[in-house]
Amino acid sequence: MYYLGVDVGSVSTDLVLLNEDKQVIEKLYLRTKGKPIAAIQEGFRVLKNKYDKSEIKAAGTTGSGRQIASTLIGADAVKNEITAHAVAALDTDSEVRTIIEIGGQDSKIIVLKNRIVTDFAMNTVCAAGTGSFLDRQAERLEIPIEDFGEYALKANTSVRIAGRCAVFAESDMIHKQQLGYNEGEIIRGLCEALVRNYLNNVAKGKEIQDKVFFQGGVAANKGMKSAFEEALGIKVAIPEHYNMMGAIGAAIIAKEKVEKAGRTSFKGFDLAESIFLSTSFECEGCSNGCEVVKIQENESVIGCFGDRCGKWGNKLAV
Amino acid sequence: MKITFPHMGNVYIAAKTLFDDLGVEYVIPPQTSKASLELGSLHSPEEMCLPFKIMIGNYIHAIENGADTVIITGSCGPCRFGEYCELQMNLLNRLGYNLDFIVIDSPGDIGLKELVTRLGKVSTGSMCNRMDKLKAVLTAVKVVNLIDEVEAKARYLAGFEANKGECKKLLNECKNKAMDCNNGKTMIEHLKKYIDKLNVVKLDHSKEPIKISIIGEIYTVIEPFSNLYIEDKLMDYGISTKRTLTPSWWVKNLVLSPTNMNQLEIKRKAKEYLPYMIGGHARECIGEAVLAHEEGFDGAIQIFPMGCMPEIVSKAILPKISKDKDFPILTLVVDEMTGEAGYVTRIEAFVDLLERRKNHVLSRC
Repeated sequence: MYYLGVDVGSVSTDLVLLNEDKQVIEKLYLRTKGKPIAAIQEGFRVLKNKYDKSEIKAAGTTGSGRQIASTLIGADAVKNEITAHAVAALDTDSEVRTIIEIGGQDSKIIVLKNRIVTDFAMNTVCAAGTGSFLDRQAERLEIPIEDFGEYALKANTSVRIAGRCAVFAESDMIHKQQLGYNEGEIIRGLCEALVRNYLNNVAKGKEIQDKVFFQGGVAANKGMKSAFEEALGIKVAIPEHYNMMGAIGAAIIAKEKVEKAGRTSFKGFDLAESIFLSTSFECEGCSNGCEVVKIQENESVIGCFGDRCGKWGNKLAV
Repeated sequence: MKITFPHMGNVYIAAKTLFDDLGVEYVIPPQTSKASLELGSLHSPEEMCLPFKIMIGNYIHAIENGADTVIITGSCGPCRFGEYCELQMNLLNRLGYNLDFIVIDSPGDIGLKELVTRLGKVSTGSMCNRMDKLKAVLTAVKVVNLIDEVEAKARYLAGFEANKGECKKLLNECKNKAMDCNNGKTMIEHLKKYIDKLNVVKLDHSKEPIKISIIGEIYTVIEPFSNLYIEDKLMDYGISTKRTLTPSWWVKNLVLSPTNMNQLEIKRKAKEYLPYMIGGHARECIGEAVLAHEEGFDGAIQIFPMGCMPEIVSKAILPKISKDKDFPILTLVVDEMTGEAGYVTRIEAFVDLLERRKNHVLSRC
């Protein structure tokens, strides 16, 4: 018996299968590429060959695409990524007090006490310091993102980069390159700038206490880890499935929910072969003018989003 | 003369009553939507705060429907809102619209005589005698109090209702049907009827809903479009909410401000953290946060538009209150973005946090 967790994020779509002991049996890390439906289908195509619908006891979704994913797969639990990350981290190590999570488009800090979330913060209107920015810089420097961190560790000194704004950080980096600094020093400077930005912006006013977990896609970057450790003066732990924590959390939450409810609404893996069509239109029912997205599976409508009144969606019709 | 005014929550219901009773022509701009925001941000200075942009959108929509006179409230307070009327007049003039502006300011700033003169301008098109005019104003004040009462009741009871969605349904119904009331008398009857209806909504007293206080900048907490309908969302989650800043609160505050007797309790509660008036409603925000904790609320959500000066100050003070009183406070900054995913994530996570705290005895000691 397995529990499925799906985390549809801005950059990656992650799928995990947990067994009864909440151990990760299967994990898939796919690029969303702006097409959440296609990414989920791609994942399901892989899982379909190995598992049967009846083996899945519960399914949960999280991430910014959690609603659409839930409609698609028939999820038992739809949870925001903050709670999902916290649940997964606590399951890995109940001693964790602070979670630093940096994903593709957003970064978060989660503060825990007595195994519950007591405070959290997310970056506001700025994406500086997140995975997308690192991705882009790696691309510009023609270094594979996987090796990005290694370069930072090799450098002995760092170049100061302004980290407040991603656009200006980039021009700052270009200036420093033109002056002849080597790549490693610049990358290390960049990591330090991102950490500075994170601590002054997202984590402002939050107490960071041992034990610290660093998770999300950016945790793969060794340069970032060491920059955090240097800035905080404490060790930062990276859980084994650092880039899957959201999906793991969703699976655990779904497991708990199904144990209470007694049955799952999981639709099975067949959707891998379905044809999905999403169209959007502006509702003319009132002056709100909601932009409604309609999702069709093989020509039958499976869900609508974006309306406030519930005329199209399955929300409370008021 | 055809009067219009920017939207701000339920103000339009009271304004409708006032103009109906005075017998002056008016245009209610269409409810604030993405179209108003788009139009407003097209013409407004880029770094201006969100309310300004939405208001410009409202004006232009109203002008398209024939309005030629705008009534807005002013404030000579040290916040950008004090400049709104001048900037908006200039901006709309430059766009080629020929408009009259009537700015209703606090009597403390412009003097009672000037206020009366300006109010007199509003009713120049009215055939009523002075007595009836005064009566119309008093009726409108009563209406604004009543609609705020309906709203507050519905929002608070939403946490306790036995049939999910009943309060929201009544609230929406009340607002929709209010538009059919063509004079003060029927409007008051209509609103009272809905207060009675809300009083008999079936409640489940065994429920212990999460209670959240909505605090922050006055426009963005009151105008639902600007805060992406946060109160409606919280109602759907079955949460009781309370909001002190309302149009009726504003009227009361305005009337009392020359005597310095306004908001005594909020001022007293804020004293420890922010003893000064620093513009906008920063002090109120701080006072309400302390008050919400004392009243047994589970948490507070602060909302303000990006770049709001007074609220940035209160945002920096709130973590201290949060820590001192062990009282969770979430800050949400709203801007032109209408993508709700990130916003909903924060609200849901905050609700989760409050729920788990509530169920976890250890964290309460």
